[in-house]
This record gives sequence, structure tokens and C-alpha cells, in this order.
Amino acid sequence: MLRLENINKRFGQFALSDINLNIREGEYYVLLGRSGSGKTLLLELIAGLTLPDSGSIWLDDENITHRKIQKRNTGLVFQDYAIFPNMTVFGNIAYPLMARKTDKKEIFTAVKNIAAGMNIDHLLNRNTPNLSGGELQRVALARTLVTSPRLLLLDEPMASVDASLRDDIKRILRKLNRDGHTIIHVTHDYREAVNLASRAGVIHNGRIIQEGLPAEVFRKPVNRFVARYAGIRNFFRVRFSQERGKWKAICPNKLVFNIEGDNHPGEGLVIIRSDDVKVFREKPAGEFDNCFMGTIADIIPCVYGMELLVDAGEKFFVDVRQEEFEQLEARELSDVWITFPARAAVVLNERI
Amino acid sequence: MIRYNPFSWILLVLSSLVLLFILAPLAGLFIHTAPSDFFETAGDREVQQSIWLTLWVSFTATFISALGAVPLAWFMARRNFPLKNVVQGIIDLPVVLPHTAAGIAILGFISRDGALGRAADAVGLNLINNPAGIALAMAFVSLPFFINSARDGFAAVPEKLEKAGLNLGASRSRVFFTISIPLARQSIITGFVMMFARGMSEFGAVVIVAYHPMIAPVLIYERFSSYGLSYSRPASVLFILVALLVFIMLRLVARRKKITQITDDAEA
Repeated sequence: MLRLENINKRFGQFALSDINLNIREGEYYVLLGRSGSGKTLLLELIAGLTLPDSGSIWLDDENITHRKIQKRNTGLVFQDYAIFPNMTVFGNIAYPLMARKTDKKEIFTAVKNIAAGMNIDHLLNRNTPNLSGGELQRVALARTLVTSPRLLLLDEPMASVDASLRDDIKRILRKLNRDGHTIIHVTHDYREAVNLASRAGVIHNGRIIQEGLPAEVFRKPVNRFVARYAGIRNFFRVRFSQERGKWKAICPNKLVFNIEGDNHPGEGLVIIRSDDVKVFREKPAGEFDNCFMGTIADIIPCVYGMELLVDAGEKFFVDVRQEEFEQLEARELSDVWITFPARAAVVLNERI
Repeated sequence: MIRYNPFSWILLVLSSLVLLFILAPLAGLFIHTAPSDFFETAGDREVQQSIWLTLWVSFTATFISALGAVPLAWFMARRNFPLKNVVQGIIDLPVVLPHTAAGIAILGFISRDGALGRAADAVGLNLINNPAGIALAMAFVSLPFFINSARDGFAAVPEKLEKAGLNLGASRSRVFFTISIPLARQSIITGFVMMFARGMSEFGAVVIVAYHPMIAPVLIYERFSSYGLSYSRPASVLFILVALLVFIMLRLVARRKKITQITDDAEA
């Protein structure tokens, strides 16, 4: 449906390089990247607010690279919503319809309907400067959706909303996607990708470095940057060696653990998700690919329980739920055992 | 609660001196004007006509030049182009020129030897000693006040709002009239009031282009040079009062506009 081919764009010191993107009808595509990675610029290119230096943009097999902004039929919702402060909520939502010289009665009905759908019909006569972040967000979405654009572009839609309202917004976005809207959503928060995306991509320094199903991207990040975006904290620089057909990773301070795979380079970077590591009070019975004793170096409270930093020669971050933590009776400096399967260790490709 | 230390006292004394410097001569002017002389001057048809002429010519000059200056101000706020600093310098030029020199330049431009003068002459209009010539002189010296104020206003409008307007399908001109201008309105009105006030008080450039018909500053000067200080005082007081009144009225209108806009929005 939307295709970006070899897009390049220089913007001062920064450049988007060789961007290729293919978005399918009905897809919810989340593009992850830090601030300054070029994700907003990419949305502006698609919307036509800036033009690429080279490459082409196709929407429904039509080349729209140089098409006027107004004729692109893409709806961009800006990070801080860009609500017009000199108009009421009604004026804002009606704005695109007035620009299309729609009949007044039709405007009135269309605005009423979309406002009801967004649960903001009681705000229509209000001035915008005293609305809350969540309300502004809904007004911005309603204003963009009232003309049914082919493609919805969202720039950090959760960034200016209170944590308590994020679930509401996510629900709205999921519903929009279910109703058939194709969405490109850029964010720096991998949790939004986990919650919403049907496909995710990671952009770093102006390049898309990985794309795929969210589970794939987060399970098997291709490099350190993607791993960091995916919230992974256990990184190990290791040497690889093979013994009797089995691969091992040797850490600088001699901790050795088993990994999977057929072929590895001499050395590289390995990540292990903190929820793949299990922690026990006593040495667990049974066979484990990797089982080490360590001491608890730090205990950090988090939303669902605790994060333990276990020093087993190398430091491992381990997530435990509150009940598990209470059973562990763990304190700082107390001894524990950790296990993780060989498949949990992912070798990153450092050339990307 | 402000705590006074020696530094605050120094600031206070210096600030008071500056304010006193502005107010003292004006106060002296008012004190030395007898009410009877004042009312006699206020009833003088020549004085009334010159004040009325000053007001309407300055207003017209401001209004007409604003039509062209608003787009220029937007351009200066939004676009980057080579030699932008030079263009800004040209805009500011009238502020630093001696106003009599500006008057001479305009006189050359509108006299029968000048380009504009010839064009006006062709339709039977003599711009010298004519309100149109006065308006040109007033606009020349006061335009920078309008352009710079409006430019600051446009620059303060978040560009994102204009981009959002375009993305929502509005044409550039629609975005300009429905978003840029309304959001920069306060600065545009302020610039308008400043340009109007500056044009109204112009003497140097106008006196060279048109001694007659006499605008109020020229009339005050003429009374001073022909009859002396005491005779020119009542006319000065009257003109200052009228200028103040107009100034306050325009400010009030600007504020009222804002208030009605908000209530209109609420009722829409």
C-alpha cells in the first residue's frame, strides 16, 4: 500500500539513508527509535511536509514523491498534537472539512459523529487551551480521521499523555486498526510496539536496522541498539568456542555458558533477556543448559516485582515477580542460583 | 515582599530619574498652559483641521502599507534565503536615517522628475503638498515598526500548526488566513498601533514633502517659529492629548477584539 524506495534526505548534520519501507493495507507498523534517530523526519517525508533528496514514495501504486501535501491523503498526528489554539474543539475537527468546502450540514454531522466515537462530544464548544493531554490527543485524532485518510501517521502519540491515560489511547488506536485503518506509529518506547504493532521496525542514525514481527525483533535483536530499544540489559562480550559440536561463550572473567547455533565468529556480543533467567534459593534439581551460583548485588523495585542484579562472575539482571521474591527471602549479598536455557543467549550481528 | 539592598536602591533611583526625565517636560507643558488659551486653541478651526488631517492620513498610510507589509513580515519570519540579513537591514533603514534626509529622498521620488511623481502627474495628481505625499512620508519612516512587530508575531506561531493545517488539506493561503494571522494578531495590532502613532508624530520627513496642508507637528512648529513658545504650547498640549486618547482607544479596541473572539468561540 505504502512503499518507500531508497529514500535519502539530508537535514543539517543528520541524514536519513537508503530507507526502504513497505507497509501493507491494515497493518499497524511501529517504528522504534531514539529522539534524533530520524523517525519524525520520516513521517514528514511521507506526509509531504519535506521532500526527499532522492528516492520515491508510492501510495496505492501511485508515485506521490512530489505530490502536494494537501493531495496525499495521509493524516499526520503531531507529537504535541498541534491543536489550533484560536479555535474551539468543533473548529479544530471541522477545519479539514471546511478546507474541502464541505456543506455546512454535512460538516456538523461528521464532526458530531466522529466526536461521539472519540468520547469528546461534550467538549465540542470548549476552547482548546484548557483541555487535558488525553482530550487534546482525542481531538487531534478526530480532526485527522474526519476526512478518512488512507494512512494514519502517529508521532509519539503517548509522549504527552499521563501514564494513566495511555491504556485508553492504546485501546482507541487498537480499535482504529481493527476498523481497517493502516497506521504507522513512531515511538522511543518498545512497550508500545509490544502492545500495538503487527509489525515493528527499529531506526537508528537515519537507517532502518531491523524489521519484523514484534516478538521476532525483541527475541532476536540484530544488534546492540535494537537490543537496547527492546529493553534488554544483559550484554556480554564473549569469545566463542566449540567443544564436541556444542558452542560455548567464554566471558572475559572466565564464566562459560552454553549457547545454541551452528556457526559463530571468533568473538561477539551476546544478550540474554532478564525474564529468561530464573533464580532459586537452593541449587535446583534437574538438568539445565546453564546453572550458576551468584550473590545478589542489588535489589531494585519495579512495577510487577523486583529486579535483582546477580553477580555470578558476570552480572545478570533478573526479573522476579513479587510472590517469587518473597519466597526467595533474598537480601543483598545472599547467595542464589540462576539458570537460563542455551537458546536464551542471542548472538548479535555487530556489522549492522 | 521585596528586600531592599543598596543595589535595589540604585536601580530604583536611576529608573525614577529616567521616568522623571520623560514626565517633567510634559508636566511643565501642561502647567504652563492656561485653560483659557487651551480652549481657545481647541476651538480654532485651523488647529482642528490639522489634527484631523494628521489622524486620518497616518491611519490611511498605516492601513494601506500594512496590506503589503504583513506578507513581508511573514516571509521574514518563516523563510530563509540568501541575503536575508541585507533585507532586514533595508527594512530597518528608515529608523536610522535622519528624517529630513528621508524627506528629501521621498521628495525626489514624488516630484515631477521622480518615477512616482511622473506617474501621478499623468493622472493629474501632484503629490507634493498633498495628503498622499504626506502619507508616503509617514509610511516611509514608520513602516519598520509595523514589519518588525508583525514578524516577531509570526515567528512566535509554532510552525507545526501551519504544517498541521497543510496536512489537514488546507491551502497555503487558507493556513495563512486561518492560522498564521489569527495567532499573530496581537503583534500585528501592536505593530499597527505603533506605526500609526509613529506616523502621526512625524515632522522631519513630512515638512519637506508638504508644508501645506499642515499636519499637527508642522502646525506646532509654524506657531513656534512665527509667534514663540507660549503661543505654540496650547496646540502642543491639545495634540498630545488627542494622540494619547487615540492611542488608548486603539489599545482598548485591540483588547476588546480579543475578548469578543474568545466569547464568540465559546458560543460557536
